[in-house]
Amino acid sequence: MIVAKLIDTTLCIGCKACEVACQEWNDQEYTLGTFDGSYQTMPDLAPNFWNLIKFNEVEKNGGTSWLMSKYQCMHCADAGCIAACPAPGAIVQLANGTVDFAHDNCIGCGYCITGCPFDVPKLSPTTKKVYKCTLCSDRTAVGLEPACIKTCPTNCLTFGERDEMIRVADIRTRELKADGFKDAGVYNPQGVGGTNVIYVLNDVKQPESYGLPKDPVIPWTVQLWKGPMKVLGTLAFVGAILGAFFHFVIYGPQDPEVHGHDEE
Amino acid sequence: MTNGWTDVANADVVLVMGGNPAENHPVGFRFVMEAKRLRKAKIVCIDPRFTRTAAVSDCYVPIRSGTDIAFLGGLIHYAVESGKYQRKYVEQHTNASFLIAEGFGFENGHFSGWQGDKYDKTTWQYELDASGNAKTDPKLEHPRCVFQLMKKHYSRYTPEKVAEICGCTKEEFLKAADLITVAAAEDKSGTVLYALGWTHHSFAVQLIHAAAMVQLLMGNIGMPGGGVNAQRGHANIQGSTDMGAWNMLPGYLKIPRANLTTIEEYLKANTPKPLQAKSLNYWGNTPKFFKSLLKAYYGKKATEANQYGYDWLPKIDEKGDHSWGAFFDDMFHGKLEGLISFGMNPVANGPNTKKMLTALSKLKWLIVAENFETETAAFWKAKTLAAKDYPLALDEAGISTEVFLLPAANFAEKDGAFVNSSRWLQWKEAATDPPGEAKRDQEIIAKLFLEIRRLYEKDGGANPAPLMNMSWDYAKPAMPLLSEIAREVNGVDLKTLKQLNGFGELKDDGSTACGNWVYSGCWTEAGNQMARRGQVDPTGLGLYPQWSWSWPANRRILYNRASADENGQPWDKTRAPLQWDGERWRGDVPDYKADAEPGSLPAFIMLPEGVARLFAPDLVEGPFPEHYEPAESPVLNALHPEASANPMLKTYSSEPVAFGKAKDFPYVAITYRLTEHFHYWTKHTSSSSELQSNFFVELPAELAAAKGIVSGDKVRVSSARGTLEGPALVTKRLRTLMVNGQKTYHVGLPIHWGFVGKITGPLINNLTPSAYDPNSGTPEYKGFLVNLEKI
Amino acid sequence: MTKSEIRIPRFDAYERVMHWMAALSFLYATLTGLAIWSPKLYWLAGVFGGGFVIRGTHPWSGVLFSAVIGWMFARWAKTMGLDSDDKVWLTKMDKYITHQHGALPESGRFNAGQKMLFWSQVVTALLLFASGIVMWFPEWMPRSLRLIAIAMHPLAAIGSISGIIVHIYMGTAAVPHSMRAMLRGWVVPEWARFHHPKWYRQWRDSTNIR
Repeated sequence: MIVAKLIDTTLCIGCKACEVACQEWNDQEYTLGTFDGSYQTMPDLAPNFWNLIKFNEVEKNGGTSWLMSKYQCMHCADAGCIAACPAPGAIVQLANGTVDFAHDNCIGCGYCITGCPFDVPKLSPTTKKVYKCTLCSDRTAVGLEPACIKTCPTNCLTFGERDEMIRVADIRTRELKADGFKDAGVYNPQGVGGTNVIYVLNDVKQPESYGLPKDPVIPWTVQLWKGPMKVLGTLAFVGAILGAFFHFVIYGPQDPEVHGHDEE
Repeated sequence: MTNGWTDVANADVVLVMGGNPAENHPVGFRFVMEAKRLRKAKIVCIDPRFTRTAAVSDCYVPIRSGTDIAFLGGLIHYAVESGKYQRKYVEQHTNASFLIAEGFGFENGHFSGWQGDKYDKTTWQYELDASGNAKTDPKLEHPRCVFQLMKKHYSRYTPEKVAEICGCTKEEFLKAADLITVAAAEDKSGTVLYALGWTHHSFAVQLIHAAAMVQLLMGNIGMPGGGVNAQRGHANIQGSTDMGAWNMLPGYLKIPRANLTTIEEYLKANTPKPLQAKSLNYWGNTPKFFKSLLKAYYGKKATEANQYGYDWLPKIDEKGDHSWGAFFDDMFHGKLEGLISFGMNPVANGPNTKKMLTALSKLKWLIVAENFETETAAFWKAKTLAAKDYPLALDEAGISTEVFLLPAANFAEKDGAFVNSSRWLQWKEAATDPPGEAKRDQEIIAKLFLEIRRLYEKDGGANPAPLMNMSWDYAKPAMPLLSEIAREVNGVDLKTLKQLNGFGELKDDGSTACGNWVYSGCWTEAGNQMARRGQVDPTGLGLYPQWSWSWPANRRILYNRASADENGQPWDKTRAPLQWDGERWRGDVPDYKADAEPGSLPAFIMLPEGVARLFAPDLVEGPFPEHYEPAESPVLNALHPEASANPMLKTYSSEPVAFGKAKDFPYVAITYRLTEHFHYWTKHTSSSSELQSNFFVELPAELAAAKGIVSGDKVRVSSARGTLEGPALVTKRLRTLMVNGQKTYHVGLPIHWGFVGKITGPLINNLTPSAYDPNSGTPEYKGFLVNLEKI
Repeated sequence: MTKSEIRIPRFDAYERVMHWMAALSFLYATLTGLAIWSPKLYWLAGVFGGGFVIRGTHPWSGVLFSAVIGWMFARWAKTMGLDSDDKVWLTKMDKYITHQHGALPESGRFNAGQKMLFWSQVVTALLLFASGIVMWFPEWMPRSLRLIAIAMHPLAAIGSISGIIVHIYMGTAAVPHSMRAMLRGWVVPEWARFHHPKWYRQWRDSTNIR
């Protein structure tokens, strides 16, 4: 059963309860932030901060709107981090769709940071390993919902079977459309095969205004080095070795004793 | 709250004004979101700032801080003139039909009876018939009936005037008014959610009165999804109000005044007489409540012969005032010797920090029982500690106050009940023992009490009787259990020694004892009702009668009789919190006699009138709410410039610095809380400190641009009281308002910082004025004047 | 002294140290890099202490290699310039491969193929260094750069390694005695005259040893 987290941004009040729940459950070290002119806890996710409410002030239809949305690992079906990861077993996709890091296997190369189209994984300067939301795999393994879901006071966050979440999201979208939000929709980007964190947005045509990338895909350079370049490299190395070998077999060494001619 | 958090989900319109529940009551706000999602309720947010609540609202209207009465007055005008009010409700359940004495009027900013510095309220009274009942005109046509007087009073509050005063546009006002008055339909209800955005004004009580008037006109009081709902900011602030604050006894009994020398005089002065023939006038039972309270205080020592110990009860002067501003003013004048401060941080949360510090420095001793060293406990080093944020004129070397900081247990280290906004008494268990030498509050109090009494016994002392006669029957006198105290508060029948079932069983002959009549029923012979966690919902309205216990009498919606018409049938057939089945009232615990036929009594049993007050004769500055400017305002009152601010504004002549003028301090400052923090407390905790580490000054983009300020620039904010510095947060969410044709800007100042804790920053109360609401004594923390400079 | 007893100095000690520093750091970077490059070669990581260790050491070996390449550049850049003979040589490289030396213009101290190897290594080392730095500190680098680096680094490495495979073959089996030149520093006149006639004549003209 694939599970999913549904974030109904139209119900988010930016209370940050999910941030604290995440910090508490995962036993994260708290840090103090420097002022950056925003209500946002910090500008971006951090190795010890996996769940961030983004606050976006948007000018729209002559008025100001203040969009708040929770940001964390999207648990992509076709995950860019896994595509990029060179260390076998460091990033695993669980049977329920969770993309989880096995830190014993993580080598801290940071390829996943580049592979992720959502810019989620963060490298810790102290442990030199990469961290992100685990979808509370230690909770879901025993049938509990992730900590953020548990704590959300407004039902903005729900968790369950992915198909069910998509059904709920579709219903909610229809409600919003009926309420006049003609561009309401579900954010479940297909460029990464769909995500196991899906959003309901008032305006799905402009996910950027929520701090979400418009058409996230696994970067082509990552795909290039994972795919064609492996073939190219293998061909080059094997070609060079075999070429050298058969050159020797055919022509032998370049030895003055053999080819030599005394010019004097 | 007249209703409760869970009931907000029943609303069709949610008016959020003078509060910011998405930020400050996020857990309760789930019921707002439920109403929005499931009932398609419209959320209307009226606030000087575009808040997180505004972000999820259907309609946001910015208004200048302190102009709420103008806005609500405009709503009253709009509703009455357009006929968008619930006529039958108004006729049946309000005093709209009551006639007011000849001579009542309003002129030049004053109601009739103005004497230059106070009111003679003779003309504010009902016209009574020979038997002492108020005269009425059920058709609401008599020129002196409340309805006509109200209509006339608010005729000045046209949409144009509202826009001019508040700074919003007329169209914005009308859009909000259209949404709010949807609730005038019999089957629709609207709730009003407010908090400190209303109470922090020098006309706070009138403001809430105005909201009550709107709700009565809409027929929303007593309705599911209706009511006037104060969102309490602290876990137990409702409890502390119910149990009596500085000038109130438990259960909202009036504190005895020195001129009332006998219990008879006290009861005569404080027991109201009915103003309608059939009015139940429940406060007529005051003697039962009061004598039972004295029996709880003094036990067997309280007898009929000694007036139940009335003489031992502390009294305040006839005109005396023990509200916050008053006793700090007394302290400032050196009239207080010591202060015991529990769970209170006056240096941080009192207005005009300098005055608070100076007042404390005049004490001989100060006891602070707290989890952390607070600003109050550290007040004697304030100048040094605060130096980086602002200069404080305080001579630390001259302070001789002896400070005792007692480590006190926190909420998780104690059992007991929290009373939430919904009036629910929710019992909790202690999660852990207090660390180290920390003690529970009741243990600190008990030990102090016992030691003082021991010293009195040994050495004697002034006025020993109250101390010696105090009942102290606890299993362990030095450590009373909160369960023992809760049982005492519930009350006991002294003949059978059985727990009372409710205040209906209270007697005025000394045979019952009860620590707080409104809580009677919370711990009966059936056990601790507050610990119940039943989740049945018979009405389907989310009232959950078996979840904890709600005062009074486990009633979930106050005035619920008014949710039904004259036949006892619900106004909204689909939602019946209360319904007459021919013999009894069914549903919620009726705010009525349970077996009284619908027409036999008027609906508002707590009031001598029996109906709700559109016209409130007992308030200080007038029976109708009138728009007055804050004590410091950028403009003169557009309705009556000659009486601009509240004529009854409470202030103290001793202020070290008086009020500022608009020419020196041109911007309107508002103080507020952020969702990330709880008051001045969470700056001591890691998680909240991470979520919002830094103090900031929130500025409108237009003002910032004019001053060349961008986010992050350091700015200095100054008022007539003091200055502070901090980084600017520039936002378009703070709009420029056009007030009386001039541009008006707000400067936002979040509270929460101070000079001790994991995170530190300026105390915004260094700027706030000592101007107080004359009814409640609450300081005007919002809508004062400041200047702003880039540094 | 017979001819075969004459030792012509080909690489001085500095050059030999330089070369072998480059070779060793390259070997280490290659083996650890290959481990990271392909899961099939990840076992190589174990050889060097595990993935986490090589993630830490690989960049340093790259820095060392790049530094030595810089050193080589400083020392050999002039020598490695292509003259007109080299350009002709390059057009007739097939003759070199098929051992038709007579058809080729004479080479100096380095033949045109060696020079091309040198320049290709300089270029790939530059690319590897630049992209390596970006990948070393992903948290400080803009995403656009990281995206380029993640493809450029292996691409440059493929070029570099392929070149070195050929270089190793040339230096060992294909051209006997080259290894001794790089290990001990000298060659015999026959070898010099055969492989680098112009350089040999320079040597001969500058000395009276015959």
